[in-house]
Amino acid sequence: MSEVLDLADAGAVHVATPAPSFLFRLGAALVVLSLVLMVVGPWITPYDPNRPTFEISEPPPALTAIPGLLWRVITGAPHDPIHWFGTDSSGLDVFSRVVAAPRTDVAIAVGANVVSLILGSLLGLLAGFARPWIAGTVMRISDLIQAFPVFITGMILVTFAGRSNMTIVLTLAFLYTPIYVRLTRAEVLSQRTRGFVDAARVLGKPEGFIALRHVLPNALAPSLIQASVTIGFAILMTAGLSFVGAGVRPPTPEWGLMIAASANELIQGEWWSSLFPGLAISLTVFGYAAFGNGLERIYDR
Amino acid sequence: MTDSAPVLDVRGLTVDYGGRPAVEDFALTIARGEIVGLTGDSGSGKSTLALALLGLTRGPGRIKGGSVVLEGTDLLALDEASRRERRGRDIGLIVQNPRGALSPLHRVGQQIGAVYRSHQTVTGAQATAHAVDMLRSLGLNDPERRASAYPHEISGGMAQRVLIAMALGSGPRLLVADEPTSGLDVTIQAQFLDEMWRTVRKDGSSALLMTQDLGIIANYCDRVVVLQNGRRVEDAPTQSFYAAPRDSYSRSILALRKEEVLPDAAPSRLLEIKDLRKIFPLRGSNKHVQAVDDVSFTIGRGETLGLVGESGSGKTTVGRCILRLVEPDAGEITFGDASVTSASPAALRGLRRKLQVVFQDPFDSLDPRWTVTDILAEAIEGKSDKARIAELLRLVGLRPDVASAKPRALSAGSQQRVNIARAIAVEPELIVLDEPTSALTPLARIATIRLLRDIQARLGVSYLFISHDLNTVEHMSHRVAVMYLGQIVELGTREQVFRSPLHPYSKALLAAHLVADPSRRRVDRTDIQTLSGEIPSPIDLPRGCYLASRCPVALASCREQPQPLLPAPDGRLVRCTPAIASLKQAMH
Repeated sequence: MSEVLDLADAGAVHVATPAPSFLFRLGAALVVLSLVLMVVGPWITPYDPNRPTFEISEPPPALTAIPGLLWRVITGAPHDPIHWFGTDSSGLDVFSRVVAAPRTDVAIAVGANVVSLILGSLLGLLAGFARPWIAGTVMRISDLIQAFPVFITGMILVTFAGRSNMTIVLTLAFLYTPIYVRLTRAEVLSQRTRGFVDAARVLGKPEGFIALRHVLPNALAPSLIQASVTIGFAILMTAGLSFVGAGVRPPTPEWGLMIAASANELIQGEWWSSLFPGLAISLTVFGYAAFGNGLERIYDR
Repeated sequence: MTDSAPVLDVRGLTVDYGGRPAVEDFALTIARGEIVGLTGDSGSGKSTLALALLGLTRGPGRIKGGSVVLEGTDLLALDEASRRERRGRDIGLIVQNPRGALSPLHRVGQQIGAVYRSHQTVTGAQATAHAVDMLRSLGLNDPERRASAYPHEISGGMAQRVLIAMALGSGPRLLVADEPTSGLDVTIQAQFLDEMWRTVRKDGSSALLMTQDLGIIANYCDRVVVLQNGRRVEDAPTQSFYAAPRDSYSRSILALRKEEVLPDAAPSRLLEIKDLRKIFPLRGSNKHVQAVDDVSFTIGRGETLGLVGESGSGKTTVGRCILRLVEPDAGEITFGDASVTSASPAALRGLRRKLQVVFQDPFDSLDPRWTVTDILAEAIEGKSDKARIAELLRLVGLRPDVASAKPRALSAGSQQRVNIARAIAVEPELIVLDEPTSALTPLARIATIRLLRDIQARLGVSYLFISHDLNTVEHMSHRVAVMYLGQIVELGTREQVFRSPLHPYSKALLAAHLVADPSRRRVDRTDIQTLSGEIPSPIDLPRGCYLASRCPVALASCREQPQPLLPAPDGRLVRCTPAIASLKQAMH
């Protein structure tokens, strides 16, 4: 009887964190790159993105010439001005414009998502906690917004409100809010019946405190993961709006505008001035999607 | 036991999980007709062993060495195809989750028949007839109808019997059952184990029963094997094992049997519940579930009232009504001098700090984003008072370095200690303990019971102890209330209810209770009172006594008139007039 196990074990145990996948790392790198360019992009371009150069519709250097040119740049040997991605029909340096564009594209997408994430998660919290009729109203309005085709609604709203970056941000925020309302509400409904919520109630905490301190932080994860994917969509949407002429005003460096401006030259074989901004859009959207996907997997475990 | 060659002979079995051994150098022999119990705490390697015995080890697990000789053939030396051949024919497996193991798309009879057909050359019709025979021999009434039912149409207990039918279909020499009754109610658990015991005994086959419940082993096994950290630490006949377990794990668990003494509670009344009633409407219909039906009881200061009953008996709802987490429909709850039922929101907030709760799921009850310090500071409502938090952690037996940990980094037992610390942080007078030990391993369960009793002795707090586990209730409670379908059917002292239950339902519940003592085996008793049939649905309750349709002593009048809860001559309350009358007779 004397020798029994020490029942008060009660220490901390080690929890292993899973190693993130390659796609997740790649996505994260692209996300970080886009955010860095959003801040510093226009300051590090080799040419002024808005001032034409003398070379008009010059193609990018041939692949075989690139090592030699790079060597000259590194060693500081004298050389002709280099346009890595060529120049467009107005003589603007494509590389500089591709690098400067995140200031517009990514800023609009991130701004719109931050606004709709804040608005959407608060409304979702309300819809999950409030009386049925308030919750019902919030959800039906969300349905109504989501019932319209996103792109066409965006075009109409921007056209009516005037083409400025702020109106694009607000329009996108308006269109994306229902996504976050829905996600947050679903998570709030499952979180509010958990034991720690009841335990806080039994401690006499007011409902508002419980909603903001316990339920909301635990209900945010799906929205944050979704945000990463939605930012990608928002970039695509911003570029799309510009492409059809309902977005950013020219001559702002912006990927959609660049494609629109050089779409005509594409037929004449000037592929570079639309290909590189198109690649930039694809890579960025892919990066955000891969990042969101990886986040979701880590969260699931 | 006529044949000397063992059915199963395992030697030197080692299973690895990424370099870390989960089962190490394990040896076991099972003789013909023998039922062997295998026990051990969570993580000791029981389930890994079960899968390895059948050659079902999955990655990252890997069998590193050893032999599993079943009737002279080493299963591990065979190729997968011939192993599959033997699985189900020579060795049957019953797993934990009966519903998860059945395909929802196929009829029960087909599934039993399919296992049979994969080992015998029979026609589909013969296989189905065999399935019906199996179900009949397992004591299911109307086996033809059951065989043509889909898994969702049968109860959990019945699904478990279908699994036995599948496992025993081809008459295997060895049955491996891995926690076959976890999640089942006690009466169904007893029914199931009785049937398995009878079937194995009748056919002369052998069984390996893996369970954490030493009560099950005491009642049904001939021999006990204990695993600890993947190693066999004990292998003894049941009788001598329970008389003097040699390993520290079993000794720790069985030690609780001897600690019986509870200090008496002061008689002054703390909580009074009168005629509590709660009805949950069913969505999409005008029907409703009667969860709590005229429940009345009192709890004194420093007293523990145990509330027992099977799932769906309404015991949790009673606890939630006291905390006003659920609004009662009718009735009066008085705490001290204050009314809980009519308290204003502000008054309720004050009241609630004297009324605390510990829930069943320890992890779910802690905000996963907060550290232990944050969680306790929230309860104290002080600006993180370091000294007080350290004191609380010491009170519940946690090391001080736990304070900065998040719940995920703690074991379930430690998480429950944090929950208890939060509950006692506000110095409550009553704590509702809603199945606080059900999600814990046996070791953690015992430690938690000791802790709760220790806290009661030190702080004089009262408990409402809600549990379906009669063992823990017996160790915790001064008085016990038995609930059946929302009603209290018997309320008396622990000795009254546990030693000489009066109500037919209490009798059946106590008879299903498996005591960890091989001299009190259920299968040896002849006076067992069992209930027939299934629990009526709480949606369509019978007119008279709710138990009348299953009760062995029911009178004609029982079916017509509801039974009142009346005092018996020895002071307890019983909802059964015939039972009270017979006690009166016996006393005269």
